[in-house]
Amino acid sequence: MKATESNIKSILDEVSSLVESSDLDINISLTDQGVDSLDLVNVYLLVEEKFEIKIPDEDIAQLQNISQIIDYVNLKVT
Amino acid sequence: MIGLESIASYIAEDRESNYDLKEKFDLDNHFIHEKLGVDARAIKSSTEKASDLCVKAFNNLQVSPEGIDCCIVVTQNPDYQIPHTSAIVQSKLNLPQSCACFDISLGCSGYVYGLSVIISFMKSNNFKKGLLFTSDPYSEIIDSNDKNTALLFGDAATVSLISDTPKYAPLDFVFGTNGDHYSELICREKLFMNGRAVFAFTATQIPKQIKELLDKNKLTLEEIDKYILHQGSKYIVDTITKRLGVEPNKVTFEMFDYGNTVSSSIPIILSKELTTLEAEKIVLSGFGVGLSWASTILYKI
Repeated sequence: MKATESNIKSILDEVSSLVESSDLDINISLTDQGVDSLDLVNVYLLVEEKFEIKIPDEDIAQLQNISQIIDYVNLKVT
Repeated sequence: MIGLESIASYIAEDRESNYDLKEKFDLDNHFIHEKLGVDARAIKSSTEKASDLCVKAFNNLQVSPEGIDCCIVVTQNPDYQIPHTSAIVQSKLNLPQSCACFDISLGCSGYVYGLSVIISFMKSNNFKKGLLFTSDPYSEIIDSNDKNTALLFGDAATVSLISDTPKYAPLDFVFGTNGDHYSELICREKLFMNGRAVFAFTATQIPKQIKELLDKNKLTLEEIDKYILHQGSKYIVDTITKRLGVEPNKVTFEMFDYGNTVSSSIPIILSKELTTLEAEKIVLSGFGVGLSWASTILYKI
């Protein structure tokens, strides 16, 4: 399965009650848009489960916005 | 039959507010209350040790020291590296010299493991009365500048009276260990926690283990009246509840006023169930350092 803006935003909807995913800019850091640190680790876990990939801790720094997550996942699954 | 007769606890009286740390760690009220679930942490005095907390918990238990056959202390912050804290507790409580004493070195899974150990030990030695203590004062090992751990832990102790006149007994136990990740939650000089790794482990392993335990005993999620999960944080309890698919009103959350008390978190909540006796079946699940996890089903006698 490929990552898209839609399926990453649906993960965010599942995780965070504070942000409306349709309002999120895919190129701005999720933290800067109100996603807290606990929700963020939950997002990474759900991404790992949904796309059956492993995200090592050292890669987290490059996964700060939706666009980066989409690119990262699609590189891993191809 | 050997099982659980009563539980008493002692929560350290002093409090440190997490709201006083908002600026230091760049937090808001919602995160502190709704995500961490810790408004304030219970902190023991610097002169108190694990055994002192055990004594204070015992003083809240209605039982005579005479006739206690064994005393087990679950702790990873003992009074001393040598000897075992249970020997010190035996002395402070004037328990008989015939009393068998030993410690169990486990963290947040320790109460469930401890229940299995003490019940098996008592059965095999034909004992009538035993004490299972939990006392793990993490305030001794916290780095106050570490955002991952400084806001979570509180000091407390509990004592469970295990006897041949129980109110609840275990139906079954299941255990788990993944030592490959021991360094994700470790104390070298101060406590270190890889929050992401511990969260992922908990969110995936605990719902799975509870479901396996219920399947093994031909029980459904709905047939359990109460789920008492280790109170790691509100976020982790909420996440397990959601992933398990149980009604939130069956899952107790209670650490706002004192924090994560490690192996004491489950018995502090369970003590109330032993008073009301409303639940027929209760699932307990502890998880943490090791990484280690354990779950059991208790049934009302």
